[in-house]
Amino acid sequence: MQLGFLVDLHLCMGCKGCEIACKVENEVPLSTWRLRVKYVDVGTFPETKRTFTPLRCNHCENAPCERICPVSALHYLENGIVDIDKERCIGCAGCVMACPYGAIYIDPQTQTADKCTYCAHRIASSMMPACVVACPVEANIFGDLDDVSSNISKYIQRNQSNVQVRKPEKGTNPHHFYVGGGNVSLNPLASERPEGHHLFGKITSKMPVGGH
Amino acid sequence: MAAHEILAATNAVVSLDVATVTTTWPWLVTVNMWAKSIGTGVIFMLFLLLRTHPESGNKLRFVTAAAAFVFINIFLLFTLADLHQPFRMWHIFFHPHWSSAITIGSFMASAFLGLLTLLVFLAYTKKDETFDKVLLWVTILAIPVTLYTAALMAQCTARELWQMPAESAQMILAALLAGSAAMILLGGDKLTYEAKKSLGVVLGLSALMAFIIYMSEYVFGPMKAEEIAATIEYIKGDGPYTVMFWLGQWMTYLLPMLLIVLSRASKSENILKLAALLALVGLFIVKHVWLMIPQLLPMS
Repeated sequence: MQLGFLVDLHLCMGCKGCEIACKVENEVPLSTWRLRVKYVDVGTFPETKRTFTPLRCNHCENAPCERICPVSALHYLENGIVDIDKERCIGCAGCVMACPYGAIYIDPQTQTADKCTYCAHRIASSMMPACVVACPVEANIFGDLDDVSSNISKYIQRNQSNVQVRKPEKGTNPHHFYVGGGNVSLNPLASERPEGHHLFGKITSKMPVGGH
Repeated sequence: MAAHEILAATNAVVSLDVATVTTTWPWLVTVNMWAKSIGTGVIFMLFLLLRTHPESGNKLRFVTAAAAFVFINIFLLFTLADLHQPFRMWHIFFHPHWSSAITIGSFMASAFLGLLTLLVFLAYTKKDETFDKVLLWVTILAIPVTLYTAALMAQCTARELWQMPAESAQMILAALLAGSAAMILLGGDKLTYEAKKSLGVVLGLSALMAFIIYMSEYVFGPMKAEEIAATIEYIKGDGPYTVMFWLGQWMTYLLPMLLIVLSRASKSENILKLAALLALVGLFIVKHVWLMIPQLLPMS
């Protein structure tokens, strides 16, 4: 079994329901994100449109984070998920530096690396990842890439000419696919990034407010 | 904002996203690389002096071993300080993952420190013959110890700028440059004029070669990959690291080369010392710029 994700960007409407579901399910601290939806505006008024791209760990078959981790805190599960053992992590941030998708962060509460695990704990209980459940338009398709009859395999077969991964030139073989993606949604260098259009930019690594 | 090409036809602008994290590996890692260059470099230079200028090398066993010991400890201390969970450092030795350059480097650096401690003891007790035998193995081990950071940078798949062949050459050259510069300053009157001239040649040539590699990457790197082009923009024009980059290049490479030529022409040892001092300070700046600029690039 090799679990994978596919996001149909034609369907995604940027509601950020997946983002919130992930935050709640995994208790992701303020200023950090396992999954986020990036908005990119394209065109010049009045010919404009907005693209929405959910971004999470790609669970690469050839994962640079797994390779660089000095203590095997990042490791493969049998189902292909790249999981993390936070108790073992020493916080060297090698994985953060190695991941070409910016999917790993240092958790400000535990001071260890963290990232999307495809909700491995839910998978172990035969449940779908929280973001899949929360998506109102079923833009997130999750399943076994080794099973040709799975939803994700069928989706890939139906959209063969339009299935992409991010940064294929890195040779990481992501288990995360996009349908309907373009250069501006999948290539971070294809869009400008002006100041002032990001969330919680001034929160750095402080603990969340509360408790006193 | 890097000046990579945004097509006018698409006019794509990120209108909502999370903030880009820009300092995953901060200046502590710069200290790590800088101190390691000095710690391994002085060992290379002592090995060289004992064979080419034994009259000078013989007087420098203790001071060199002690300097290497101090700087390797600085390197290890700052490596530890950079960890978010420093008290779990022992996990590396009890749960080692051998595909990681960090793991291999940790074992090698620990062995290197152990041998350096032995060298200090042997130098202090004046057991020169044994010292020289151990020094051979320490010198051999110093090569992978100084190189492993290049392997680590190469394992950072996300940072296209750090390519293994170039980084490994830069690490060895940094060790030769820092080692010769530190030895010129440490040696003082114990070094003969000829020994100083030899160290000056090592300093000048390593500066020249490192400068050539940096300039090659600066000019030709952007022709190979979009990410390198975007990264190099941070040290071009009004980029945030342009001034620091050129300050580093002048202080570490260009000025020391000029000063070494001047010192040979005028037989001035003070000018050579100035070149050594500039190179040591400048190396920190050069390393810091090269560490920081790939971290400025948005990854997703």
